[in-house]
Amino acid sequence: MNGLEVRRPTARGLLWALLVSVVVLYGFPFVYLLLTSFKTPFDTLAVPPTILPPEWTTENYAAALDRPGVVPSFINSLSTATISTLVTLVLAVPAAYGITRFRTRFGRVFIMAALVTRMVPPVAVGVPLMSTISALHLTDTPTGLAIAHTTISLPLSIWLMASFFEAVPEELDEAAKVDGCSRLGALWRVVIPVVSGGMAVTAIFAFLASWNEFLYALLLTSVRAQTTPIVIANFQTQFGLDWGPMTALATLYSVPVILLTLVLQRHIVAGLTLGAVKG
Amino acid sequence: MLPAALFLAAFVAWPLVKLVTDSFFEISPIKGGPREFVAFDNYAQAFGSDAFRGAALRTVGYTVIVVAFEFLLGLATALLFSALGRRSAVFRTIFLYPLMIAPVVAGLLWRFLLIDNSGIVNHLLFRAGLLDSPTQVGWLSDPDIVLWAVAIPDIWLTTSFMTLVLFAGLQNIPGDVLEAARLDGARPWTLLLRIIIPLLRPVIAVALIVRGIDAAKAFDIILIQTGGGPQNASQTLSLLIYQTMIRFGEPGLASAMGTVYLLAMLAVATVAVWFIWRPGAQS
Repeated sequence: MNGLEVRRPTARGLLWALLVSVVVLYGFPFVYLLLTSFKTPFDTLAVPPTILPPEWTTENYAAALDRPGVVPSFINSLSTATISTLVTLVLAVPAAYGITRFRTRFGRVFIMAALVTRMVPPVAVGVPLMSTISALHLTDTPTGLAIAHTTISLPLSIWLMASFFEAVPEELDEAAKVDGCSRLGALWRVVIPVVSGGMAVTAIFAFLASWNEFLYALLLTSVRAQTTPIVIANFQTQFGLDWGPMTALATLYSVPVILLTLVLQRHIVAGLTLGAVKG
Repeated sequence: MLPAALFLAAFVAWPLVKLVTDSFFEISPIKGGPREFVAFDNYAQAFGSDAFRGAALRTVGYTVIVVAFEFLLGLATALLFSALGRRSAVFRTIFLYPLMIAPVVAGLLWRFLLIDNSGIVNHLLFRAGLLDSPTQVGWLSDPDIVLWAVAIPDIWLTTSFMTLVLFAGLQNIPGDVLEAARLDGARPWTLLLRIIIPLLRPVIAVALIVRGIDAAKAFDIILIQTGGGPQNASQTLSLLIYQTMIRFGEPGLASAMGTVYLLAMLAVATVAVWFIWRPGAQS
């Protein structure tokens, strides 16, 4: 498809072999995690370790799900990520629209400021953020954690949405206004449907950022709102090195998002590469 | 625009103001405890401590290791995908999956793979004849190599980001430029260094900046593997600040460290963005 493609059959054969081995190597750690989650406790720590479970069992999954706090943590992760995604979209879409359509000085400063926010180390704002959240009486609630997660995903989302809005010609808004729409009406009825693919990408990123986040979850939740990454991390301290149930829980937590990604991969690649290639 | 600006002001800017204010106080870790204004004492204490200087160096080291490996591996795989063209699409999809895995999971998974006595990595290396015994390398227990070892999961997790971005950049290189260079007798190596990399420069810059910022902020992935040990050999700034705050209960000192860390990040990233990328230029 472009000048970089190699055409000689022998060279192609070698490159295919190389590619397959790279992908196998890259995939191995997660496959090993999957396989370990089906091993008995004894086989998990066997020396030397085996790749395939000598004896297949689902007891790790039963044990993981039986632990107190595990099932609620899934619900917490899901509700935190959902709230954070919604808040992110509600804030990012109008902001990005305003930045691309009005082109004010404030808009330019704002998008730079949003970029700067990305450079702020969470550990530096984490503790002051704790007191802000507790002043709102939202400590240890999914909403409080979702607010913290939104600070992470909002800058990137504004950036992404701005690129998507840039791609929509302004004539489209104008045409809608000629047909009698207000500016908000034009945004809602005409522009939003055009960028719905971009909104989906933004939503996925916001969701994943919250789903996988650890530090804020550690600082802002204790019992009621604890998310699964914290529970996974706690397996090692509270119960010794309990690899079996830990790998089972890690599998349960990762597989849904991996599947989601594979289904939506075309959109995700577009979102990941958008800003970079355009710039 | 305004709601988003207010949100960021309330939940990012305001905490940052508090962070900087706190850094000038000696604060008791007990809630409602005494606060005493100490001007720059916390800063003096931070800069005077070996822990802080060491952690700063390790943060730089960790970031360089992660970004360098990701760039080299990412560019190599992006070239490989380009060389194979359209039919490699399925493999590109598989390659994407670690991006979706939580850093905590990645850290624990690699800790398990590298664990001293029953880790699969050492056993595979041993069986391949690369190690004399499966316990020869203590990835996470040897202070000399631990910083490299804790970087592995981060590299594993996000090399695909680098690959994707560079691959997309490679697709935009016009074919006739490459063809012309080949007709002039350019060898593949010259082609890469003289044509491809210079043309990719803006894309490379963005990828390096984005990943550099993230790697410098790494927290959970290291915490979960070593907790900063052994002998603090993998303690980066994020971990040191967290531990100063939570374990040693010195919010004032931690805030001073956090402020320095934040300013350093801003300075480096702003310089990089301004000179290489200039996002303002396009809008």
